[in-house]
Amino acid sequence: MSETNQIELNKRKYGTFAGDFLKSYPTVPIILIMIIGFSLTTRNFLTAGTIRTMMAVNTVSLIAAIGETFVLLTGGIDLSVSTVISASAVISATLMEMTGANILVGILASVIVGLIFGTINGVLIGYGRMTPFITTMDTNLIARGIAFILSTDGRGVKASRELVKFGFKSFMGIPLFTLIGLFLVLVFSILLKQTLWGRKVILTGSNPTAAKYSGINTARTEMSVYVLSGLLAGIAGFISIINLGAGIPGVGDKLLLIIIAAVVLGGTSMTGGEGSVLRTLIGIVLLAVLTQGLDRLHVEFYDQFIILGLLIFLGNSLSIRITTKSSKAMH
Amino acid sequence: MKNKEVSMDRIKEYLSSKLWLSVVIAIIVLCVVFSILSPAFLQWSNFQAVLVQSSITGIMAVGLCFVIMTGGIDISIGAILLLSATVFAYTVNGTESFMLAFLASLSTATLAGVLNGVLVYYFKMAPMITTLATYNIYNGIALHISKTENVPIDRGYTFLGNGRIANIPVPLMILLAITLIGAYLLSHTRFGTFVRAVGDSQVSATESNLPTRRTIVSAYTLAGFTAGLAGVLLISRTAGLQNSLGVGTEFTCIAAVVLGGTALSGGSGSVVGSVFGAVFLILIDNGLNLLQASPFIYDAVRGIVLLAAVSVDRMSTARQAKTLLEQKALRIGSSIIKQVKKTAQA
Repeated sequence: MSETNQIELNKRKYGTFAGDFLKSYPTVPIILIMIIGFSLTTRNFLTAGTIRTMMAVNTVSLIAAIGETFVLLTGGIDLSVSTVISASAVISATLMEMTGANILVGILASVIVGLIFGTINGVLIGYGRMTPFITTMDTNLIARGIAFILSTDGRGVKASRELVKFGFKSFMGIPLFTLIGLFLVLVFSILLKQTLWGRKVILTGSNPTAAKYSGINTARTEMSVYVLSGLLAGIAGFISIINLGAGIPGVGDKLLLIIIAAVVLGGTSMTGGEGSVLRTLIGIVLLAVLTQGLDRLHVEFYDQFIILGLLIFLGNSLSIRITTKSSKAMH
Repeated sequence: MKNKEVSMDRIKEYLSSKLWLSVVIAIIVLCVVFSILSPAFLQWSNFQAVLVQSSITGIMAVGLCFVIMTGGIDISIGAILLLSATVFAYTVNGTESFMLAFLASLSTATLAGVLNGVLVYYFKMAPMITTLATYNIYNGIALHISKTENVPIDRGYTFLGNGRIANIPVPLMILLAITLIGAYLLSHTRFGTFVRAVGDSQVSATESNLPTRRTIVSAYTLAGFTAGLAGVLLISRTAGLQNSLGVGTEFTCIAAVVLGGTALSGGSGSVVGSVFGAVFLILIDNGLNLLQASPFIYDAVRGIVLLAAVSVDRMSTARQAKTLLEQKALRIGSSIIKQVKKTAQA
């Protein structure tokens, strides 16, 4: 009798595994429903080939979205990720062309470009107390401008043959550069959950005043997330060269809203303090499955916009409902 | 001597209460720079062209300004502009009635704004995400109607964009009218007070029984209406529907509003400033155009100028806040000293 009571109590206290899972990852059922639906309506929806394409296409936005997750966790926003990808891709490809396909130079260049933009954002927002929205909107324009100025007349800079070949290499059906992306997800997941810095990021986002009074240097924490976001956007730029075979100045233009949508659809809140890197991965998977499925059904791109809009709306209101319910239950 | 100091203080106080002051200074600086660099800049016809071009961004900025003052944001206005232009093109070609098309596109846009407001208020989602969703939906609907084809409209229906009354361009007159109405709404009606109260603290506004719901929905409705009006003006100017119409205008408008001294956190702002912000942004483009700069440079220059303008503004307001705090501290300090002296005397 008492034992069953204890179990009941534990259940109420800690929740069931399935319930916990749903609370942390509210969009997973939507993905499953979509996969089943698309598998029934299209032929060969989930084959090794289609999965590989989906992974290859979405790795760039996945890597940039990891950084954006950290920024949203502090309650800020980084609108410059998309064009930092473009700037990094163009600069890195140009330098590789100049140095005779030196891949190391390319990687270094993309990392440095990302770090520079991240630091500008971070210093202005963290220490200069400027509004994240406006600051990153301006650096977005600057990065876009630089990408187009450096590319000759807006055309892309071709990558070397070796790099293109690397793009086709895969391990167990997963493209190698997607593995890099997944590895980054793992690393930053651990950094967020297991380190002091990760706790600081979450606390800064959920209550900046409390964070300040408990001795956290919130300015430095905020700066660090923008530097990280810039760095990851830089790396994403390099990955885009591998994926597309060239550094294209317009590569990031359409990614911004997709990246933000993915992070939010995964269940990271815009107001800070609530979210995780794994959720972002799930958000990216959701968008990947959706676009792949709708493309297979020959839905026109503008009709896909409508569906995407409805999904952003439904997904986000669902995750808000679930997370607020769970936080209420905790109190 | 003392009187003079007092009046100087008054002038300072008056000027610092005007949020749009910094953007006007920025406009003057930009004008000086461009007039030195290009002789064609300082001509009446050029100024008129700048004002006409900025009327579309300016009109949208007026509506958006109210949304931002409630502490929200609307990134769907670019899509509403496209939707309104699409409805206008198809109705005017289908019915050959300007009035019908005008009303149809304006009511579509207003309805889109109402929907934004209702969704933002009832679903308690971040306004950025709500309007990101509706941005996709409106954009999708507009492109679904046009199937991404270009639709030319007859020159006879483009009076709103290209016409003149008493040698003054019609878009400019509409901009003036919208600005006056907006400024009146903000500073002389209860709605304006409610908007700022809701932006300051939605919780306090609700607790003090202000009509929070009506205020928020009206703000988004205004933004939708002005975006629709801008859409009709834009398609009248280009005399044809293109599917790239309005792409990115939402960010230009947000920049204009912020340059005009409206805080993104809500609670305070200026309608006139938002229009000046739009003029400032168009001036950058106009100057670069006169200097025959490469089109690829535009974005970078825009970004750098904006960043400089916003950070200078930020620094000056921070200094202002600091001096205000210092003054307050001084006042408190001196009153304490007086008290101490009094007790010592006693």
